[in-house]
Amino acid sequence: MNALGIIFSDIQDWSMTELASHRSVAAIPFGGRYRLIDFPLSNMVNSSINKVYLITSSNYRSLMEHIGTGKDWDLSRKKGGILTIPPYAAGENHGLYQGRLDALKRVLDYITSSKENYVVLSDSDMIYDINYQKVIKYHEEKNSDITAVYTKININKSESIHKILYEFDQDGRADDILVYPITNGIHNVGLNTWVMNKEFLESLLYDAIARNYKDFSLNVLSAKVHSLRIYGYEYTGFFAHIDSLQSYFENSMKLLNIDNLQNIFYSKTGPIYTKTKDSAPTKYSKDAVIKNSLIANGCVIEGTVENSILFRNVRIGKNAVVKNSIIMQHGIISDNSKLDSIITDTYTFVSKDRVLLGYSNCPFFIKKNSVV
Amino acid sequence: MKLAKKECVAMLLAGGQGSRLGALTTKIAKPSVPFGGKYRIIDFALSNCVNSGIDTIGVLTQYQPLTLNSYIADGKSWDLDRMYGGVQILPPYQRVADSEWYLGTANSICQNMNFIDQYAPEYVLILSGDHIYKMDYSLMIDYHKKMDADCTISVIDVSLKEASRFGILSSDETGRITDFEEKPKKPKSTQASMGIYVFKWNKLKKYLEIDDKNPDSSNDFGKDVIPLMLEKNEKMYAYKFRGYWKDVGTIDSLWQANMDLLGENGFELSEENWIIYSRHAEKPPHYAGRDAVIKNSIVSEGAVILGTVENSIIFSGVRVGENAVVKDSVIMADVEINDNCIVNYSIIDEMVKIGPGLKIGKPMGENSEITVIPRESIINNMGGII
Repeated sequence: MNALGIIFSDIQDWSMTELASHRSVAAIPFGGRYRLIDFPLSNMVNSSINKVYLITSSNYRSLMEHIGTGKDWDLSRKKGGILTIPPYAAGENHGLYQGRLDALKRVLDYITSSKENYVVLSDSDMIYDINYQKVIKYHEEKNSDITAVYTKININKSESIHKILYEFDQDGRADDILVYPITNGIHNVGLNTWVMNKEFLESLLYDAIARNYKDFSLNVLSAKVHSLRIYGYEYTGFFAHIDSLQSYFENSMKLLNIDNLQNIFYSKTGPIYTKTKDSAPTKYSKDAVIKNSLIANGCVIEGTVENSILFRNVRIGKNAVVKNSIIMQHGIISDNSKLDSIITDTYTFVSKDRVLLGYSNCPFFIKKNSVV
Repeated sequence: MKLAKKECVAMLLAGGQGSRLGALTTKIAKPSVPFGGKYRIIDFALSNCVNSGIDTIGVLTQYQPLTLNSYIADGKSWDLDRMYGGVQILPPYQRVADSEWYLGTANSICQNMNFIDQYAPEYVLILSGDHIYKMDYSLMIDYHKKMDADCTISVIDVSLKEASRFGILSSDETGRITDFEEKPKKPKSTQASMGIYVFKWNKLKKYLEIDDKNPDSSNDFGKDVIPLMLEKNEKMYAYKFRGYWKDVGTIDSLWQANMDLLGENGFELSEENWIIYSRHAEKPPHYAGRDAVIKNSIVSEGAVILGTVENSIIFSGVRVGENAVVKDSVIMADVEINDNCIVNYSIIDEMVKIGPGLKIGKPMGENSEITVIPRESIINNMGGII
């Protein structure tokens, strides 16, 4: 069934001060060679959604550089393809988007002019693997106004404040929706992914314009839970929500498990696509030591790497030891340096003989272009 | 249609079988043989073209072209999906009067004169798709212009022992070629032709037409066209290339070229301003397990290494199981080496499944030979090849 995909690139930038200081959440590097946007975008492409609007508010340069024409996702098309939509000052509308609903109102003309029957909305800070066509089918079966994808997991208070929680009746229809509550325990956690009929979304936006609503979760989901038919579609696979530096670290480390790797990157839905970089394969010297690590192409490893993730074109010098760390692309760790529980952003240079220590529940973050 | 004029058009000879590569080329042409963890041999010539500013390339195919055709596709992996020019596959085709296979290297160019004429080039660069090297062709073309040559042949110094495998030429102190012999028994010099030629297109066209009318000709550049031009006293120059260059026409040389990528002074693939482009599968980074050992090796994306890998080249999607040991080997894409297998001194072609608990190949030594396992073989526990 033909659907229009709409991805919000930076709705949750506020919670990611370190990694999103100079880029939108969608452009945060993840998993050795990807950016977070690759996951929802690949889900869409793998679900035969060939037209995607990427809504972005600020800090979008690295995101736009990553996406380019969209050809790496097979989205450089004559019909459809990907369109990045930053804010556009016209008439009363100016300034950054204030929430999902405000952003959607301001791209209403693009939504109206598209010919797809369904719309799939998604954020960029969650990693999961789903075929949206199944959600659309369920949406039709339930004759719902909005179908929300959720997963049933155990969360704590620090996690719940960035999540939307659903409660459903026996038929699966939502009868309560909590937005950013403080709670813990097992909950139906929203994946911030919704399916609607395009015409329904349009009517929702006309209403939002008339009432000056800006917030989709509060003004629509929570406020209209009883008047609208909102149904939940349960997702049960691998799920990660990147909403803080700590969760970024923990969820990255989950990739050092071969089952998780298999589930995310070799799923039935299809591969995760990303921008091609043409790096040569990684080269190990005769003194290299490697344990339980994920290594992208283009690295040169002459030291020791354990329980770590190396992005593309990272160099690990002689006798250098990198443990429990994430080294983003073009990081250079010089000879004899020791790193433990460190996240280095892109293009970091660590000189010889440095010792850097974080702790597993508090990784130390080194920002882009740093020289240590 | 007259297209925008191009100063130089490259013609890449990719139709050869490469029969000396045996099992590796029964189903694919030699230029599509995988190399270096994520490449195919043809990537080097294509990337050299792009990096030298040549954006119009005809690829002449004949033998088992399917893999090559689908690999090159529209050329976008090499940035060769261009409005004018780009890469184009040129198979043999039928004409009103006749139809024939490409009879020789020169004949394949002769049959595609109309392709070259579309771009009205000054120069034509002839390349072969079976060498591993990095070369800036624009420097060779500059030399060709400076010498006002009709033909320039790129040469490399080889040992006297090897010389009889190549086209060997002699030149005077100005670089002008005085003598050319294809695979001579008693070589007069050690300057070997690399099979890379720059011609003035008008001149080449004339000689291709003469050659085409000669019933005794084998329609080959090295055997016919070059000697004829030399005989007619055309201005032919040798361009000396210094750098890594390897003809990977045999199993031994293919294995050696792969091994040349290892170590600190090896052939470097990750030079920032001379990227070797290739088309690759969408695979995550490679994973090394808790008990993995990887020494002096190259490992590509999508590989999962749980055992030991030493002095080897591991392509994308390869799985090396627990307690498995791979030494001195080239393991091509999507090969499964299951738990407790031992692989020594082998080239294992794509999509082979081995094991568990099997031994492949004899340890590298003076008398051992490289073991080659053909693509998609399944080697079961009985030790037989299916």
